[in-house]
Amino acid sequence: MELAAMLGMPDQAVRMPREEWQRSLAHAVRDVFATHFAENKFYRAQCDAVGVTPADIGGYSDLHRIPLLPVGMFKQANAHVLLTAGLADIELEIRSTGTSGVPSVARRDALTVTRASLGIFGAYRDFFGIAKGAGLFLCPSTAEIPEMGMVKVFNLLTGMLDDHRFLVRDFNFDPAEALAQLNRWQGRMTRHIIGPPFIVARFMRYLELEGIPLELDPESMVIMLGGWKQYTGRSIGREDFNDKAQRYLGVESARIRDMYGMIESNMLAIECEHHRKHVPPWCHVSIRDIDDPAIELEHGRTGGIAILDAVNTAYPGFLLSDDVGEVDETDCPCGRTGQTVRFRRRRHGAELGCCAVSIEKYLDSSEIVEECELVDAAGGV
Amino acid sequence: MPRFSAAVIDHFTNPRNCGRVENADVAAFVGNAVCGDQILLTARIRNDVVGEIAFEAFGCSASLAVASILTERLTGMPVPDITRVDQARVADWSGGLAPDQQHVAVLGSDVAHRLISNYRSGISDDAGTVCGG
Repeated sequence: MELAAMLGMPDQAVRMPREEWQRSLAHAVRDVFATHFAENKFYRAQCDAVGVTPADIGGYSDLHRIPLLPVGMFKQANAHVLLTAGLADIELEIRSTGTSGVPSVARRDALTVTRASLGIFGAYRDFFGIAKGAGLFLCPSTAEIPEMGMVKVFNLLTGMLDDHRFLVRDFNFDPAEALAQLNRWQGRMTRHIIGPPFIVARFMRYLELEGIPLELDPESMVIMLGGWKQYTGRSIGREDFNDKAQRYLGVESARIRDMYGMIESNMLAIECEHHRKHVPPWCHVSIRDIDDPAIELEHGRTGGIAILDAVNTAYPGFLLSDDVGEVDETDCPCGRTGQTVRFRRRRHGAELGCCAVSIEKYLDSSEIVEECELVDAAGGV
Repeated sequence: MPRFSAAVIDHFTNPRNCGRVENADVAAFVGNAVCGDQILLTARIRNDVVGEIAFEAFGCSASLAVASILTERLTGMPVPDITRVDQARVADWSGGLAPDQQHVAVLGSDVAHRLISNYRSGISDDAGTVCGG
């Protein structure tokens, strides 16, 4: 299957027979590798240094030979060297700011934006089957933070819904307002909750403390992106989260879906009902030895997550991330073929960085300011 | 109007005066806490005129380019003139900025003003930024 066909029919692409999927993926990745090899001087130098050319990528088993760019390079001031496309062709700059405060900026040209949007939109249709209903977005809107990768990805969902509200404004989240909005939609539309896990967890904590268990609708979904580790370093437990979501939102476990991605890549791995995150068929995840990323580890072993992305024409989307996890190529009971990826943790020494962490940090800081104002107003100590 | 002006493309692709001035008289750092754009200027100032000046910057393409443009424009400029550099002037030097890039003009004028404010107060910002250029 050609790349354009995969993007246009993602539901069929993720169910191709294994051999066909591997052949299609290798073909698409080799094509875009050839483009970057020919047109990107900086990347060409990386290829020359290890002696790899597009002719060396004969098939799926050769993909591991493609040189990788560490994602840390997207934070550097001279990130222009990463671009294969000229700045004049860049249409969208997406950023994420971690705990260091230095933004990682990924620049996408028109073709990449079109392909990535199509791919994500189609994957949403395939995994969620949403075409109507109402979305309670527990995150800021793109109007408030236009370049934040996570909200940009969430925002694509709004076009499929009949109504939606973004409930984080000026870095404030009021769970009572979220509850009131859900009540306004009750009986009129299927209600979905969308946001990073930590804000959904905050909302459930509010419902728990107030003793207001909700029963959303039979087809309601909880859709998440942004990681499970908080900026404080504390992790949210997934099983505990699912239990609470069933108790306080009335959403069954199979309809609670997490996603995994990073702004530097166009890969958005979406959970199926079996909670396996499926790598889109135009991307390939390779697990690398943490001490020597040139070594690819076999499936099932834990290591550094590398992503090869066939849709990126702006810069070589062949990335060595700061994330650690595993890849699985066994058949999924959901019927989709290809890879599934599991994120474990950040690499030791890597900063805790993602869109959700930024939002959470500011949410907490604004709450502290509000608490101080309350104390001052009360003539407090 | 194209998304990026010719000046922004030029300075983003070929940044000038990237790094830090050794034995600088003054350093000024300004960052946007929400979007993360950051500019650090270091300069030598003699007889109230900017001599050598360099930048370190992180963030969107326009902010990197504006930092580079600032160093060219401020070189040889008397201190009183820099206090009059405003958002409109920075946008003009940049060859025009798209609506979603206007914050960069604010960042540029803010860091120029801070440079002079710090110089007059005899203080320097010490930002932990590292230039990759």
